[in-house]
Amino acid sequence: MTDLLGNDLNLQYELLGPEIALVITAALVLFADAFRRELKIGQSAIPAISILGLVVALLLSLLWIDENKDFARLVTIDNFTTFFRVLFIAVTVVVIIGSHEYIERRVSHLGEFYSLLLLSTVGAMLMAGARDLLTAYLAIEVMSFSLYILVSLAKSDTRSGEASLKYVLLGGVASAMLLYGLSFLYGVGGSTQYTEIAAALSDGTSTLELPLLLGLALIIAGLGFKASAVPFHMWTPDAYEGAPIPITAYLSATSKAATFALLLRWFAGPLLPAIDSWQWMISVLAVLTMVIGNLVALQQSNIKRLLAYSSIGQVGFMLMAIVTISDQTGSALLLHLSGYIITNLAVFMGVIAFYNRTGREEIVAFRGLAQTNPYLALVITAGLFSLAGMPLLAGFLTKFILFQSVVSGGYTWLVVTALLASTVSLYYYLQVIRQMYMYQPEGDASRWRLSPTGYLATGAMLVGVVWVGVYAAPFYTAADRAIAPLFT
Amino acid sequence: MIDRLPLPAQFDRLIIVGGVAVGLVMTPILFVLLALLIGDQITAAELVFWLAFTVIVAGASGTVLLNNIVHAALSLIATLLGVAAVYLLLATEFIALVQILVYGGGVVILLIFGLMMTNAQDDPVVTDGSQKPFAAIVGVLLAGVFLAAVIDAEWGSETMTVVPFRDFGARLFRDFIVPVIIVGVLLDIALSGAIVNARASRIEDVDADETTSEASS
Amino acid sequence: MIPIENFLILSSLLFAMGLYGVLARRSAILILMSIELMLAAVSINFIAFATYLDGEAFSGLVFALFVITVAAAEVGLALGIVLRLFRERRTAYVDAADSLKW
Repeated sequence: MTDLLGNDLNLQYELLGPEIALVITAALVLFADAFRRELKIGQSAIPAISILGLVVALLLSLLWIDENKDFARLVTIDNFTTFFRVLFIAVTVVVIIGSHEYIERRVSHLGEFYSLLLLSTVGAMLMAGARDLLTAYLAIEVMSFSLYILVSLAKSDTRSGEASLKYVLLGGVASAMLLYGLSFLYGVGGSTQYTEIAAALSDGTSTLELPLLLGLALIIAGLGFKASAVPFHMWTPDAYEGAPIPITAYLSATSKAATFALLLRWFAGPLLPAIDSWQWMISVLAVLTMVIGNLVALQQSNIKRLLAYSSIGQVGFMLMAIVTISDQTGSALLLHLSGYIITNLAVFMGVIAFYNRTGREEIVAFRGLAQTNPYLALVITAGLFSLAGMPLLAGFLTKFILFQSVVSGGYTWLVVTALLASTVSLYYYLQVIRQMYMYQPEGDASRWRLSPTGYLATGAMLVGVVWVGVYAAPFYTAADRAIAPLFT
Repeated sequence: MIDRLPLPAQFDRLIIVGGVAVGLVMTPILFVLLALLIGDQITAAELVFWLAFTVIVAGASGTVLLNNIVHAALSLIATLLGVAAVYLLLATEFIALVQILVYGGGVVILLIFGLMMTNAQDDPVVTDGSQKPFAAIVGVLLAGVFLAAVIDAEWGSETMTVVPFRDFGARLFRDFIVPVIIVGVLLDIALSGAIVNARASRIEDVDADETTSEASS
Repeated sequence: MIPIENFLILSSLLFAMGLYGVLARRSAILILMSIELMLAAVSINFIAFATYLDGEAFSGLVFALFVITVAAAEVGLALGIVLRLFRERRTAYVDAADSLKW
């Protein structure tokens, strides 16, 4: 079939198999929850159906390894898309398993919770795959809309609704800015297709320089919001604190990774010819983000807010890779993203298990955890050390490769700032670790155990943190192969 | 004088004063534009454009400046209808129609419902924060930057393409099939979001009700 | 013929006013209205570029249609959250929602 302009349209719906599978699963989950009594199924059936659907989606996305096809000139299925599909599915599976107990007890509207989780995964996958501005924009909105609601689902916690309101209002403003920027990009590039915008921009746009610059600034502001880069980060700590913890974990993993997938696609593709116009903007953003994120993290007393600011700091490091974009930094960024996500999930799975037991999220509540539950203390410590960049753990290796690639991209001063910010971050991670190991537990000092699913999720993430830190070769190859289609 | 007019109570003074003021502003503009039209200085399309321009700018100012929130909502309707007129001038009847149906018929009604449910007494309390001067500076600066960028650029084309409705449909449902599907998912998400948040009774209340009714029967 | 600049000037003004409203207003619903103004500016831009510059492809028209759809969905979603917050707190003002502080 051809489109109105005579281009060939490849309408192979198998290409969208994973997305379709997840949408169908989301619908099934909603129905199963609504008719739970009639169908005589227990509450655990709903996460089981979700995980089944995710596994099917995972298998369907593995079908397209090393292919390079597009669906109707709107979605590309290449190794880059496949890499992110697998990553997002894995994150959702871990979040569902690790927070099973938390969700049953502290989340209202179970069916909606799981189905929105699946749908926001679909949005994230499409963000990585889009090759047209319209598809990309709608994918962003699918992910964001689901997250606005997921943030509001904490049961009997009034912070939840407030966090959601702030998130939805600021998110709406950010979307409007992004869209206004996209409209200028469309006016300058003359198309919504990535490839055609790239061609138009490299042909030269001398008469349209100011609108292009303005459009880029607005796009960067809008995406900076979604990636929670300073000064567009205001929503992040509030949303992180008000959301149910599994959603906080999900926000810090999938929503970040999806935004960076989009940034990579855009800045290595359609916007690459205009690199002189945006490189300085992103480097300013990167410096602000890593400095302010890490400094404000120093004075946090709530673990979720601490992790929010720490993740803002991490975004600053990742933005460096966009500044010096090339296949080398791109693959380093993908590697760092995977390492960061595994590490962050390890910490969050630990925090969720801790919260299930104690119902507290202040940092002082972690006092004496090493005595009451040495295993959990070990998991959280490993995660925090990895975030700080300690050797033998995922964070060190991936950060090292990322910084090295940025240096060889010619931005040594950025890396120096990043190293200083990294040192600051060590201080506040150590604060948490100090609470766990140096203090006596308050009140009940008896030992306690995690739930089986808690052991499964934390154990898997702990293994992941050490594995990436010691033997990263498979991840490195995967990142290399994923980034290749962007730079051919 | 206005107080003694035989009008329903809902017609408050501000609406009448506002109407008179709008009339006083718009009539001279209309006459100037008509004179220019008759003198062949501008075309009919331009006359409509400048009228729509006035309505949109005045309406938008009302939306962001008026203290009474119901009046702000009414100004928003005027603005969005003016925007629909602009779409007509750009020869896109279909989108103008969608604009009127979706905004005039849906969004604004929804917003006014929201206003009524959350702030029933439409007292003109201060609705703006202390950040007003900052906001004004940002707004003026941004407007300046945008205008400079738009006017400085040479866009190159002065002719308009009229898109046949039939082609529009083909383009929408064949060439952009994925966005159509995604937007379906998006509406579903918004629907579940509105339901879970706006529903008065939470799940646990329903469960509690059912257990009590089972126990009693 | 109306030059394209006229439409772009109009949309610039509308967008800047919307942004002013977002920054200055305190009521969540008034902020939503200001966002609607910004999105209307976006649609005007897309349609103007589509009819003047894109000719045969007119992707911008399709884009504008989707912007309108998403804006409507967003209002529905956000109003649900406003109503919930109002039930919990009896207010629709954003700065009354202040239990989350850095």
